Amino acid sequence: MNLRTEALTEVTYLIPEGRLDFDAAPGFQQAIDLLLSATPRPAAVVIDGAGLEYVSSAGLRAVLLGARAAQKAGIPFALCALQPAVREVFELSGFSKIIPVHRARL
Amino acid sequence: MTARRTVPAEASQLGVLHEFLQEFGAAAGLGPARIQSLELALEEIFLNVVMHGSQPGTSPRVEVSLALDADTVTMTVEDDGPPFDPLSLPPPELHLSLEERRVGGLGVFLVRQMMDSVDYARVAGRNQLRMRKRHAR
Repeated sequence: MNLRTEALTEVTYLIPEGRLDFDAAPGFQQAIDLLLSATPRPAAVVIDGAGLEYVSSAGLRAVLLGARAAQKAGIPFALCALQPAVREVFELSGFSKIIPVHRARL
Repeated sequence: MTARRTVPAEASQLGVLHEFLQEFGAAAGLGPARIQSLELALEEIFLNVVMHGSQPGTSPRVEVSLALDADTVTMTVEDDGPPFDPLSLPPPELHLSLEERRVGGLGVFLVRQMMDSVDYARVAGRNQLRMRKRHAR
C-alpha cells in the first residue's frame, strides 16, 4: 500500500530582531494585531525569536495580549527558537506554560 | 569599580540608562548575560518609579549607582518621589490560564527572580532599592 498525506499550511512567522523592551512593545503588539486581522487569515502565527536579544515585562505583556487575541480569533499562536536569556524570562514568568514555545522552527 | 548616573523619572530616559549599563558592563568585563539581567532589573524598577512616583508637573530624580567588587555587582536605584516600596506589590499568579493571567505585576517578580537579593529602604526622604547579583564563575 502507498499512503501519502501532504498538508500545506500557511504559517506566518513574525521575526523580531533586537530588543523587545518598553519602547518596542507597542509596535510589536500592533504588528501581531495586524497579522491576526490580515486577509487571508493566517493558518497560524509563530514568533521566531532567533534574533530576539532581550525581553522585559513590557514585551511579555505584548506577547500575552497577542496570544489572547489569537485565541479569540481561533488562530494557533506559538513562539520558537528563543535565545537562552529570553527563554529564561519566558520560563520565570510562567508564560511558557500557557503559550507554546518550540525549540526550533517547525 | 563604581559608576553613577542621575536622570529624571521619564520613560524617555530608558535609552540613556541602557547606554550607561552597557558602558559599565564593558568596562567591568561583565558578560552579555550578566549585563542583560541588570538591564532587565533596571528597566522594571525604573518604570515603576516613572509610574508610581510622578506627580502632576514634576518627575522625581532617579539616581542609579553600580558597584563591582570581587564577586558581586550591586545596583542601587534611588528616587526622591513619594514613599513607595515595589517589593510590597503582590506576586503574579503564575498558575492561571491564558485567559485569566493578569497583564501587570510581572516586572518586580522578574527582578526578584533574576537578582540574588533585593532590599527596599526609605532613607533621608528617598526610596532606595538595592539589588545584588553574584558573578557566575
